[in-house]
Amino acid sequence: MESVNCPSCEALLPLRDPGLPYSTCNYCQSLVRRRDGAAEVVGTVASLPLDVSPIQIGTTFALDGNSAVAVGRVRWGWQDGSWNEWFLRADDGRHYWLGEAMGMYMLTSEYPAVLAVPAIKNFADGNPFALGATVKAGGKWLEATDVKEASCLGSEGDLPFATLPGRTMTNVDFRNANGDALSVQRDDDGTTAWLGRWSDLAGLQPKNLRRIEGWTMPGTLA
Amino acid sequence: MTLARAVTCPSCGGSIEVRAAGYTVTLACRYCGSVLDVAHEDVRLITAYKRANANFAIELGTRGTLFDVEWEAIGALRRRSPGAIWQEYLLFNPYAGYRWLVVADGEWQFGTMLLHRPDGAGASIEWRGKTYQLDDDATVETTTVLGEFYWRVSRGDRVQCATFARGSSFLSREAATDEVTWTHLVPVDRRQVEEAFAVRQRYKPRAGLKAIPDGFFKAPGTGENDLPMMFLMALGALLMIGIVQDLMSRPHLCANNRFDVVVGAATATHKIGTIEVTRPWQFVTIQADSNDFSNRWVDLDYSLVNRRTQQSIDAYGIVEYYTGSDSDGPWTEGSHHGETQFAGVPRGSYDVYVDTGSHGWPTDPPANATDPDHPWSAPDSISMWFNACTGGHSWGMFWIFAILLFGAPCLILWRRHRD
Repeated sequence: MESVNCPSCEALLPLRDPGLPYSTCNYCQSLVRRRDGAAEVVGTVASLPLDVSPIQIGTTFALDGNSAVAVGRVRWGWQDGSWNEWFLRADDGRHYWLGEAMGMYMLTSEYPAVLAVPAIKNFADGNPFALGATVKAGGKWLEATDVKEASCLGSEGDLPFATLPGRTMTNVDFRNANGDALSVQRDDDGTTAWLGRWSDLAGLQPKNLRRIEGWTMPGTLA
Repeated sequence: MTLARAVTCPSCGGSIEVRAAGYTVTLACRYCGSVLDVAHEDVRLITAYKRANANFAIELGTRGTLFDVEWEAIGALRRRSPGAIWQEYLLFNPYAGYRWLVVADGEWQFGTMLLHRPDGAGASIEWRGKTYQLDDDATVETTTVLGEFYWRVSRGDRVQCATFARGSSFLSREAATDEVTWTHLVPVDRRQVEEAFAVRQRYKPRAGLKAIPDGFFKAPGTGENDLPMMFLMALGALLMIGIVQDLMSRPHLCANNRFDVVVGAATATHKIGTIEVTRPWQFVTIQADSNDFSNRWVDLDYSLVNRRTQQSIDAYGIVEYYTGSDSDGPWTEGSHHGETQFAGVPRGSYDVYVDTGSHGWPTDPPANATDPDHPWSAPDSISMWFNACTGGHSWGMFWIFAILLFGAPCLILWRRHRD
């Protein structure tokens, strides 16, 4: 694995996905931007609050015959809670977001086509989105069940955007009866859409899960 | 490093662990019951309470294995609908997520939240190729909250909850203001849960008292509202006992007569009449009433003489009435009425006799006193009316039943009040 040194503390920064511009230094919490082989510190990331997520940087998943590894995590907070989103890089170079909520997982990959849907285009233009509205994405009808204003609580690993304190976004979650999921996120950089499905942890066939003290990893997941 | 997040209750200062750190947003303090917002780093008090309700079958923090996965009970709710009251436990395992244990009337169910939701609406729905029929649709209110939850929860929360059944397996649809959740519930053996989660003794039916049905003890989930039911049942049973006592005492076959009893005279024997006991065993009740008198008593020795065997059953009664005056003022004692009961008189025909003897208090009036001025005046005597009837029942027995029936719920009421 390639690596650079943190310009701030000189610690080794492993590059899990050289294509990604941002890395969080595990030692000094510096957010390091890599561009043209050079690394510069652009700010300091908040330390992640304690949680009992079973996932860690390096956890692998078997997705549709493809293997993917968790390379980064951002934690979002909103009025009534907070959640993790893990950034996964698959062997074929595709990226996924794996969102954690209610002990369940929402696995999505980028699906820009839905941004052309008028209701979502309208949202991308800065307008609010109505709960209950339905959109069609990937041949599936999905209903908007949740709209949240979230702010960045911290990060680790390699990520596609800067995770400095104060970063905010608006997230619209869509779902349907079949467990399909669509997540549309709007922030200062623009709007992106991610389509996928809900799953439990076992359904993602994870390996190299985090060891959580006091708990035995189920044999099927170890 | 232990992975529980320690927080301090802003209301009571108690130190509490957040077990599902990172997921939990609401925590009801185990010491004072106050509902806290722990979604963010600074813990915020949502509602202060004075006392945590520890009246749950499973102690929070207890771990148990169900369906091959170890679960920790981290949250507990007491909920009710118009027809039922039950307890729900939120189970957590960081690798397996959340599950539910629901207990109503001592029956346990294991619940899993559904990602693939059922199709259809109305009275029947389809899930995984199987049809579930609408079983219940009611507003469910949360009455007690303890421990931690991954959503905002508070006492008094109301959701519309529809339950669909297929055999012993249920699908439950809960609709809060902005979201709908579906849960699949399957039955779990009571002993399995009791063993896995060290269910508190008072929520288990006691072994060895097999004659007493399980429902006698407080099954977890039946909650407080089983007491009114117990009182109602006790009242109903007592009413039934009264009716049965009355019916069993029938028929009422009576004989009556009237005699004058001379005060101070020797004992006299009178025949009241003949009565027929038509049941194998029956009560016989004799009422004695007198005219007005005072400072006299009448001893009444009754005999029921079986006409066939000439065997006699005896009982004693008295009618007495006294008046007087002392430092507290005038007083009276006694009554002009007396009732005597024979329990268990065997079938047969009986002559009813009464031996009467009357005396004055503190002394008898002079016997056969004749006033020289009124030589024709009658001697001092008391008129007695007797009514002897088969039937009648024992009020003593009735009240003993009443005490037995109401004793248990009263005891429970007192115990719970004390808790």
